[in-house]
Amino acid sequence: MKKDMAKLGITLALFASVACACLAVVYAFTKENIEMQAEKQFNASMQELFPQANAFDKIQGFVSSDPNIKFETAYEVKNGTIPLGLAIKAVGPSYGGTATLLVAVDLHRSIAGVEVIELKDTPGLGMNASNPSYYVNKAKKTTFVGQFAGKFLTDPFEVKKDVVAITAATITSRSLTKIIKAAGDAAIAYMDQKMAVQTVDSNASQQQNTQQQGTQPNAGGK
Amino acid sequence: MKKLYKVFRQGIIFENPLLMLMIGLCSAIAVTTNVSNGIGMGLAMTFVLFFSEVIVSLFRKLIPSIIRMPIFLIVIGAFTTIVDLIMKAYFPDLSKSMGVFIPLIVVNCIIMGRVEAFASKQSLGSAIADSLGMGLGYTWVLIGIAALRELFGNGTLAGIQVMPASYQPILFFVLPPGGFFVFSFFVAFNIWLKRRMENVERKKLEAREEAA
Repeated sequence: MKKDMAKLGITLALFASVACACLAVVYAFTKENIEMQAEKQFNASMQELFPQANAFDKIQGFVSSDPNIKFETAYEVKNGTIPLGLAIKAVGPSYGGTATLLVAVDLHRSIAGVEVIELKDTPGLGMNASNPSYYVNKAKKTTFVGQFAGKFLTDPFEVKKDVVAITAATITSRSLTKIIKAAGDAAIAYMDQKMAVQTVDSNASQQQNTQQQGTQPNAGGK
Repeated sequence: MKKLYKVFRQGIIFENPLLMLMIGLCSAIAVTTNVSNGIGMGLAMTFVLFFSEVIVSLFRKLIPSIIRMPIFLIVIGAFTTIVDLIMKAYFPDLSKSMGVFIPLIVVNCIIMGRVEAFASKQSLGSAIADSLGMGLGYTWVLIGIAALRELFGNGTLAGIQVMPASYQPILFFVLPPGGFFVFSFFVAFNIWLKRRMENVERKKLEAREEAA
């Protein structure tokens, strides 16, 4: 009996290790392509949000007001040296897992555009958020994320009030709206802080520091 | 050769995994909201089924029967992950729209069922014929259900607008109840088709006997 058990264990281990080896090979083989696809998609989304942009500077210092929503990376988008706005890659919970969105905020303090980078919701329902031919407003042909373009962050961002929901996917609509709002607020907070810094740029750097410290809690509280 | 063809044919109508064996239904109803999803899911499932049946059939004498289930799972899981990675690398749009249902092929009962009931007892040739037949049987039903649901529920086919713009999509069809509804028609159609084909075959047999 004992001998049998050892034999069974070894057989199982053998099968598992062969499977592992195969997977490792395929993973190594596809890894580069998967990363390339992700980057390609990311660049395409960026281009769509800011057509004139040609430079993306990575920036830091974003604070999320919602503990569930995290900001992966943020970029200051520029055309040459002229700033155009901010783009934030935000990750938050949605119906079928985490959703990753790219939220762009322009200097007028409105949403410049939103792109869905990753979404795992129900195909045909929540997934319509990333479907470019699914329109929440059929007359104007605006997609779910498209309706946020040009929306000011002073708006309430409430689904079924000022945000049109995806039919039969209220949870997806709500979660995505929440992520967009959080990213937008953080961008505004960053702009407030940065602009304050810019105005005192000619002054001593010490003052800059106090300015920054003064606005930081604000950013968190929003 | 004739025997292999017979095995292959079984999966398409007479023993269609979805319509006759009634297994693997969750994925069939969940992803069939548009045709491209149906095609993608069908091909992905067929790929996993094919390689799992081949491997299990090849090694069937080396697999101790007490631990056959975990071994089947390892084999199926490995191939599913391979499909997932390949789709992410080369068909990112398709992979995006099907999301979690690709990894869930692991628990698709058709694969477990066919591997356990068929491949673990049959020769390599039969296993290949069975996997292709079952895969085709699964795929055509998926595409059929998806086409009807997309046409009525969205007015499009594979993303292309087919219905006139004045057509108001019946949302019911893309929702899960609509999936069951359309599915039931396919079951009925398949039973009708099966009976008809059996009748035709019986008549042929009788005619041959009479001639003899």
